[in-house]
Amino acid sequence: MTPQFVLEGTVVGLAVGSIYALIAVGFAVLYKSTKILNLAHGELVLFGGYLAIALTTAAGHLPAPLAFGLGVAGTLVAAAALGFGVERAVMRPLFGQPLLSVIIVTLALGYVIRGVMVGIWSGETRTFPPVVPPVVVRVASVPVPLVGVWSAAAAAALLVLFSLFFRYTRWGVAMRAAANEQLTASALGVSLRRVFAYAWAFAAIAGAVGGILLGLWLGVNFALAAVGLKALAALILGGLDSIPGAIVGGLVVGVLETIVGGYIDAHVRLFGHPLHGFKEVTAYLVILLVLMVRPYGLFGTEHIERL
Amino acid sequence: MAYARPCGDFKTSYAQDMALLDVRLYRAGFLLLLAGLLAAPWLLGRWLFLLNDIAIFAIGATGLSLVMGFAGQISLGHAAFMAVGAYTSWFVTSELRWPFVVALPASALVAFAVGAVVGLPSLRIKGLYLAIATLAFQFLVEYLIVQTVSGMGGTPVPPMDLLGVPVDTEVRFYYLALAVWVGGAVFATNLTRTRVGLALMAVRDRDYAAQVLGVNLLYYKTLAFALGAAYAGVAGSLFAHYNRVIGAEHFSLAQSIDYVAMLVIGGLGSVWGPHLGAAFVRTLTQALKIAAPLLAASVPMLGRATTSVREVVFGAILIALLIWEPGGLATLLRKLKRYVDLWPFPH
Repeated sequence: MTPQFVLEGTVVGLAVGSIYALIAVGFAVLYKSTKILNLAHGELVLFGGYLAIALTTAAGHLPAPLAFGLGVAGTLVAAAALGFGVERAVMRPLFGQPLLSVIIVTLALGYVIRGVMVGIWSGETRTFPPVVPPVVVRVASVPVPLVGVWSAAAAAALLVLFSLFFRYTRWGVAMRAAANEQLTASALGVSLRRVFAYAWAFAAIAGAVGGILLGLWLGVNFALAAVGLKALAALILGGLDSIPGAIVGGLVVGVLETIVGGYIDAHVRLFGHPLHGFKEVTAYLVILLVLMVRPYGLFGTEHIERL
Repeated sequence: MAYARPCGDFKTSYAQDMALLDVRLYRAGFLLLLAGLLAAPWLLGRWLFLLNDIAIFAIGATGLSLVMGFAGQISLGHAAFMAVGAYTSWFVTSELRWPFVVALPASALVAFAVGAVVGLPSLRIKGLYLAIATLAFQFLVEYLIVQTVSGMGGTPVPPMDLLGVPVDTEVRFYYLALAVWVGGAVFATNLTRTRVGLALMAVRDRDYAAQVLGVNLLYYKTLAFALGAAYAGVAGSLFAHYNRVIGAEHFSLAQSIDYVAMLVIGGLGSVWGPHLGAAFVRTLTQALKIAAPLLAASVPMLGRATTSVREVVFGAILIALLIWEPGGLATLLRKLKRYVDLWPFPH
């Protein structure tokens, strides 16, 4: 494992990891304020990717940056609407029901969203019309496609924007209050319904942006929904209820799967066979090891058990 | 003894208190169900495959219900245990050329051992964090299958043979599966009433408190995982010989999640839950498999989108069911029982 390999892996891993982090933050916000683990999160990513591509293509007669901008804006509005809609139509009737039932409902929701997406846009991989020039730039002397730099920058900018929202706006503070202690927040006049609706819209937007960025980089097909699972792994690594944890977790998962996974794929042999595709498993195994040492993730709140 | 349950509890002996089916109506109902199941090959005809399918997955779901419903440990790797059983059975019958009567218990034993090992992290990692540990196991098993045995395709499994009698038709397989299914269900039901079952429920409700009361957490948590895995192993062995081909796609994460869905739809922590849930999910899956192409043929606009029609309808039905009855089908059954008990009075 040469230093060059590690450096390359770190740079590329951080770029991918920043997208994971963004998706994981959507996850974390939803979990924190509603205690629901959203198994449809990957499908929200898929939704963002597909819709943005469709809208950008539809606006193809305009100059490329304008078409892309319109596509992204339209997607974000649609994602927010989807988030509000899901909360109103599916989640609100289930308020206060057993948690596992609610989690399975999000799973079913994922089936519906994915089915509709694949039904409309069919299964094959779709890509954006060329909005980012296919140039390779050098970051710390490592060649990275320009798209990667863009998405890392966009993810970082959004993460800053989100943290400002939670720190300074009225609804951001209300959401943090509800996340901290639902009953108290409710007693102090925070409308839990509205907090939940905002949390869903927020999760949908974060997922959609992640989908757009991944779509710019790799193209969109229905396997993209599996990214939701990776974001979940990142979130668990960071600690379920910690937003900084989600960011760190996302970056770590990105770097880990690029360096460790890439190394094992290329160099380690088992009974003389090269291990293809071990990349996908590595992240989970490392997370398992980390959890053995810190059972509540890196930054999660530790439950102190008392009788 | 009464036909239905009277107002109040008038049991006068231990035998009455311990009876699983405590009034005549329930016993009659259960006998009717058993008779119906025994007569199913004549009643269902060529649709019997549906019941075979349900039987296999109900056995697996019973195992998951011990882990999740009774011991309260979330597992997203149940299909992987099924894979362990299926590949053990394949190895014993195809590579060692031993009979199926050896392969079935061997699958259960190997899955039991693997389950105990996978259950070990549950001592330290809890709740949703544990889900990730089981998820890691799921991915690892899928990966190993693809890398070592089956590749991307499938592995053929020899036909089964029960003490010289070939089990080669749907009907013969059905009676074998039914025997294992009912046996497994009765064992699990009784297990939940013993010290083991009570200890598992104590662990579910509050593991720390259970430990203070003298429940050995290491023993019972690993036992829950091991027993659940053994059931999945049996289901896997039956599945392998029924389907005759096994591959990574039969034991995917989607299948594991389907198991969790079966359990939640059936009702967590209920004896009937896994069976109702498995019946519901598998019937729906098979029905949509048959109906989706017909639907696509009659509405040409849908065209090639048949798989997505299936997903959308499946998802929509799950959402509707859980909004209507979040406690699952077992709660509906309980309401029905209550209605029958009180009939003809409303309260």
